[in-house]
Amino acid sequence: MVNLTIDGRAIQAKKGCTILDAAREHGIYIPTLCYHQALKPIGACRICVVEVKPGPPRPLPACATYVAEGQEVVTSSPKLDAIRLELMKLVLINHALDCPICDKGGECELQDLTHALGVSVVDLEAVKLPPHKDYVSELIERHPDRCVTCGRCVRICRDRVGALAINFTLRGYFTELASGGLPLDCEFCGSCIDICPVGALINKVFKYRARAWEVTRTEMVCPFCGGGCSYELWTKNDRPLRVVNYDTALLCGRGRFGFPVVESPDRLKTPLIRENGGFREASWDEALDQVAAKFKEITEAAGSAAIYGVGSPRATNEANYLFQKFFRTGLGTHQLDNPGRYTYVQALKGLAAVFGFPQVSGVEKVAKPPLPFHSPLTTTEEAKASGFPLVLGKLKDLPKADVALVVGADVTPELPPLGWALNTALERDTFHLVVANNRKTKFDRRAHLSLRYKPGSERLLIAGIIKSLLTAQPEWAPTVIAGGFDEFKENINKVNLKDVAKKTGVPEALIKETAARLAQAQAPAIIFGSELMGQDKGLENTLALADLFLLVGRPGAPGSALYPVAEKNNTRGVCEVGVMPEFLPGFVPLEGAEPGPTLPEMLDLLEKGDPKAPQALYLLGGDLLRQLPNRSRVEKLLKKVPFMVVQDAFLTDTAKLAQVILPVAVHAEQEGTFISTDGSLGLLPRALPVNGVRPDWQIISQIGSKMGFAMSYASPKQIFAELALGMPRWAGMAPKNGGAAFTAEVTGQFVPFETDISLPGRRPFTLLVGKSLQHSGSFTTHEPCGTLTITNRARLGLNPADAQNLGLAEGDFAKVTSSQGEISVPVTLTPELPEGLVFLPEHFSQPAAQRLTLNSNLVRVTIQKG
Amino acid sequence: MDQERLDTILSRYEGDAADLIPVLQDIQDQYSYLPKDELKVVAQKLNVPLTRIFSVATFYKMFSLIPKGRHQIRVCLGTTCHLRGGPRLMESFSHRLGVEPGYTTKDMQFSLETVGCLGSCAQAPVAMIDDKYFGRLATDKVPKILKLYKN
Ligand code: SF4
Ligand code: SF4
Ligand code: SF4
Ligand code: FES
Ligand code: FES
Repeated sequence: MVNLTIDGRAIQAKKGCTILDAAREHGIYIPTLCYHQALKPIGACRICVVEVKPGPPRPLPACATYVAEGQEVVTSSPKLDAIRLELMKLVLINHALDCPICDKGGECELQDLTHALGVSVVDLEAVKLPPHKDYVSELIERHPDRCVTCGRCVRICRDRVGALAINFTLRGYFTELASGGLPLDCEFCGSCIDICPVGALINKVFKYRARAWEVTRTEMVCPFCGGGCSYELWTKNDRPLRVVNYDTALLCGRGRFGFPVVESPDRLKTPLIRENGGFREASWDEALDQVAAKFKEITEAAGSAAIYGVGSPRATNEANYLFQKFFRTGLGTHQLDNPGRYTYVQALKGLAAVFGFPQVSGVEKVAKPPLPFHSPLTTTEEAKASGFPLVLGKLKDLPKADVALVVGADVTPELPPLGWALNTALERDTFHLVVANNRKTKFDRRAHLSLRYKPGSERLLIAGIIKSLLTAQPEWAPTVIAGGFDEFKENINKVNLKDVAKKTGVPEALIKETAARLAQAQAPAIIFGSELMGQDKGLENTLALADLFLLVGRPGAPGSALYPVAEKNNTRGVCEVGVMPEFLPGFVPLEGAEPGPTLPEMLDLLEKGDPKAPQALYLLGGDLLRQLPNRSRVEKLLKKVPFMVVQDAFLTDTAKLAQVILPVAVHAEQEGTFISTDGSLGLLPRALPVNGVRPDWQIISQIGSKMGFAMSYASPKQIFAELALGMPRWAGMAPKNGGAAFTAEVTGQFVPFETDISLPGRRPFTLLVGKSLQHSGSFTTHEPCGTLTITNRARLGLNPADAQNLGLAEGDFAKVTSSQGEISVPVTLTPELPEGLVFLPEHFSQPAAQRLTLNSNLVRVTIQKG
Repeated sequence: MDQERLDTILSRYEGDAADLIPVLQDIQDQYSYLPKDELKVVAQKLNVPLTRIFSVATFYKMFSLIPKGRHQIRVCLGTTCHLRGGPRLMESFSHRLGVEPGYTTKDMQFSLETVGCLGSCAQAPVAMIDDKYFGRLATDKVPKILKLYKN
């Protein structure tokens, strides 16, 4: 602690904090303009000047001056006031002053400063500059005549987003924010809008819809990816108008511009019942009665195992928890799974095999009744935990790692906050980034090592890295207690590095250097995405990475962890609350009972016409036809199911196969929680009317009650309290945090993994079905979602040389054929892709990418013009 | 776009981001401005975002994004020259050529611009045409000098 005085007040401040931090913490006002808490201070505008003794005879910027012992700081004096006034006049010299039509009016930092500093006249003159307003860029409007050249947007775009899409041109008085004289061609995250202190950058989705003081603001978690960003939703007259992140200003494009999808005209409004080959609208009572009656009829005829459930990585923890309770307690079966089985669950299983299942001790009930959505459990002093969740990293710790290996993930489209964390880490010179991918991705530009491997060869590459580490350092031992090491080493010994280099396409030298960097690291992090988990050998891939982490990881060091991407808002939560046949809530392995089939196994049963195949399917949302590989097969199999109930907000292709469709609430129409990729709890409060649809939890509870199960709940709060009581690992959990800290006991067991990487078929191209930056699952593909203006359809990414050989130009249609099917899609030339690899985003219904796939996100295809 | 001409320039460098300014200087010398299409290629080759190139290209006076004339006239308006008739000299050039400072004549022969101090204050007022200095320049000499360059 440092002792100083500010305006005569004795103050204690943390060492290394700035005068501004110290003043703010003690409620002392110092005006600022170029400063923003999410950025490194640059001391450019000098509005925050203070007098400091001892110090130079001139005033210093409070935002960029660190506190020191015995400092005397004066924040206000005639001299300082005069400086600030003069600076303000310079800022205002030719400011547009169109506050009446400026969206920032009412929450503009320049308005506030002008008022606070009492600037009543500007008695300076300068030539008027031509305002190069930008009305043509998508989603963002630019008004240079309102810009105060604070550089906040340039810095967030460069230092946090890493897009470097906007910058200053010219200099001095003529300085102007620009994007190379062209309309914006960037990530369209809109972070620059939220960080701008004035109205120079305008959110087109919100423009002219309300004034800042008229709206109701509700803080909530974003409903799209697993990033768990929180933001304020602005509503007026029950309509969602805008989302703003006042804290870090960072959101991705789909988070910031995607929310209008809630008002999509495609939304289902009433329950639908199949009749005469079509659907007819039905009342809630009728639809729910029919579902309950039909379920009862089927269980009476074929047993309760004849109903199979598929939970949803979009639905809340409360809904998913009730869903598994419906099966486990109500029907007494374990006939359920969730679609994460094809990606994220692979990672959980791989990590669990190496690091074990979670075990927790030293947890007790809290004395007082907990607040809503707070865990009723707390940790004692002896609280201990072990198992794989301890090696799952937290995004806020990632910047503390010193080496990060990114493999099989195009970080920003998969999980934008991972990208922000990497950019923060990269500000330290001691941080090393190794990016391994089958194509050039955004972070290759900043990587210290770039490894380009052949599609699908990830685990062989990992084997090569392990082999070269163990060859270079035969005495190497993991930092945690690890079993099976000798056997593992023997296995790895069989790996031939030359062979690895040949098959993966990564030069031996690069493999060795990667191994050396990981060996030297004090806090290595391993990041991987659904690109790698979504292969048919996804489990083997994650085993390889878990083994690598067991070998080099230092679980005690902050940041040193594994970071698998949980793709959707509740991909992790749906697993944590037990929507899997083999795990009860809290990843407790099922014992003493037979787990039901997994989702792929269930499809196999249907295919075989097995007597154990389900007679009824209960789907908690999610367009399985669009998500799962081999669409034609899935379609054929789902059609075989005699009775299917789908809860969804949209009439998806999967819903069209159902007998009963129940329309659900989305986003802030419902209350509940999500678990983000890093295990923290995101709270969704209700802020929008439901207009006739119902939240998932209510529907499940009503069907359950009608079937005679004890499942009536008054609210998600009540469900959460019950759920959290059974989850000792959630002790201390509260909104925006991931629970209390446990003394971690990490141990592991090396598990051999398979290194055969052949991809079946002989077609000349390899297709990767993956993620687009502007979309999250299929949720964002409905008008009027804002990001549709950037990416409105699927395009096949193709290397320009390949395109030329095929006689294809940008926008031409290509016919893509695999062993499974054929689609027609326009191409887009993508130099980032190596020759022979093509890319198709998975989100859109037309053309359906999964028509081509077999059992993996990689498939061999032929491409022709037309 | 003249790909070959640009490649010749680029081939002289390693292709590092640090080469940006020298590459831009070469392009400016050869093309007498920085054409947009060429800049896009430079961005790709040097792995520098286009917005950064524009930032640099507009910050320094030696670069121009619009085609410059065959001859560059720089009239000094540094402190000394300012006091000793620089502005009048400027006006005279501007009047004779029919362009404002910062612009190029229609026939693409002359570009006119102002600079701050050419480092020859003893000779004030000073102007420079291409690489040649003209000191103690009175306005009546302007037509004669311009004639030297007109052909
Ligand atoms: S929207 Fe995002 S990527 Fe685009 S300029 Fe703004 S901060 Fe940069
Ligand atoms: S646009 Fe806004 S954030 Fe960017 S420099 Fe201007 S005032 Fe600052
Ligand atoms: S989609 Fe993900 S990264 Fe984007 S704002 Fe939402 S939670 Fe954040
Ligand atoms: S706020 Fe401190 S210099 Fe701008
Ligand atoms: S002021 Fe003109 S040469 Fe110095």
